[in-house]
Amino acid sequence: MDKKKIIEEGLLERYILGTLSIEEENLLLEVLSTDEALKEHMQELEADFEQIGKENAIEPPANIKARLRTSLGEERTDSRSPASGSASTLQSGRLMVAASLAALFALGSFWLYVQWQRSLDDFNNLQVQTNQLQERLSGLERQYASTRERYTTINDPEAIPLYLVGNQKSPESRVTAYVNHKSKTVIVNSLGLVPLERERAYQMWADVEGEMINMGLLPDGHEYIPLRYIEKAESLNITVEPAGGSEHPTVQNLITNVYL
Amino acid sequence: MSKAEFYHIFNNAMGEETTDLFLIERLKSGDKNAMFPLYDKYSGALFGVIVRMCRDRELAEDLLQESFIRIWEKIDTYEPDRGKFYTWAYRISRNTTLNHLRKSSPLIQQEDLSVYKDREDDMSNESSDQLYGVIKKLDAHHQKAINLVYFMGHTHQEAHQIMDVPLGTFKSYIRQALLKLRTIRSELYFILIAIEVLANG
Repeated sequence: MDKKKIIEEGLLERYILGTLSIEEENLLLEVLSTDEALKEHMQELEADFEQIGKENAIEPPANIKARLRTSLGEERTDSRSPASGSASTLQSGRLMVAASLAALFALGSFWLYVQWQRSLDDFNNLQVQTNQLQERLSGLERQYASTRERYTTINDPEAIPLYLVGNQKSPESRVTAYVNHKSKTVIVNSLGLVPLERERAYQMWADVEGEMINMGLLPDGHEYIPLRYIEKAESLNITVEPAGGSEHPTVQNLITNVYL
Repeated sequence: MSKAEFYHIFNNAMGEETTDLFLIERLKSGDKNAMFPLYDKYSGALFGVIVRMCRDRELAEDLLQESFIRIWEKIDTYEPDRGKFYTWAYRISRNTTLNHLRKSSPLIQQEDLSVYKDREDDMSNESSDQLYGVIKKLDAHHQKAINLVYFMGHTHQEAHQIMDVPLGTFKSYIRQALLKLRTIRSELYFILIAIEVLANG
């Protein structure tokens, strides 16, 4: 399609009026894209037609604009058109962004809630463990204080260690007693006593001028048993008595004794 | 400041083409409010075409509204490189009007010229008296040629039959008419400049 034919056939005018076939239009546009002079000529024709239109304009009633405004509002909301489609796409795009943000926020909140619950559980567990540790610490402190007391008592220079060895009735029994006349205390380690049946018990006695005075029961298997200090005791004696002890010693059940 | 005032100031500052492109971009991005400055600018010219084409003012009002709705609907397809916005809007208004006229007369086929002949007869009452501006300075046959294709929506093929002249002759009428219009407009332009110079010394 040459330039002369385009002008003589009135293709430019027909293009402006919109009466070209699609094939003719495509051919013309192809030529226009390469021929600046022809394109300029077409732009002049466009301006001419526009000028004719403006010179013959008729003012439409004002209500048409209001009707158009209403129609465009409706068009935009019912999404029937490409333009309203793009508007609603924009709108739905914004809604998608908002929904995504809301979902992220909800997920974030849920995650925070789960984390918070986990933290709360961890905190409760820690609290329980702390309480247990505190109890153990208190026990250890008590144990330490007791051990320290025993150590102090046993290693006190005033404490006199006495070793009691079992006689023929209980040859394997060994007992250590610490007598402190200054602090008036008696500590006994009964780990070396032979264990007794449940219905019998060991009992220690102090011999004062021929009279046996009760110092207390002596459970076996203990390394630190405080007993009653008896003034002017001459010897310490251990007998086997019925469970709960006796008021007077059963002399024939004497298993060991030591003189002070 | 209202949007209309803003666009008026913007139009003066940026030039018409730039303003149109700015508004069209706004339309394409979904801002329907950008339609109304374009409506203010072009609705009169388009309404003038539609009224002359359909010969029914009440119907023309509906068709003008419908045309702008279609402009809104099709704005994504408008390509500034292919022509001015007015040209594109004119084609939409022309097609909207002709399609309505064809639909309202189902017995009339698209290539049946009787519908146009009837309208030509109607037009004889008011005819080219309704045309204004420089076109009025053209010869009668040139006025009629422009009127037939531009204001009445005829194709060249139809119009040359109406004027009862060969197609080639009709095409020449159009070319000559447009050339004459530009010549007259140039003369008027120089006359205005001369008046301006004389008036201001």
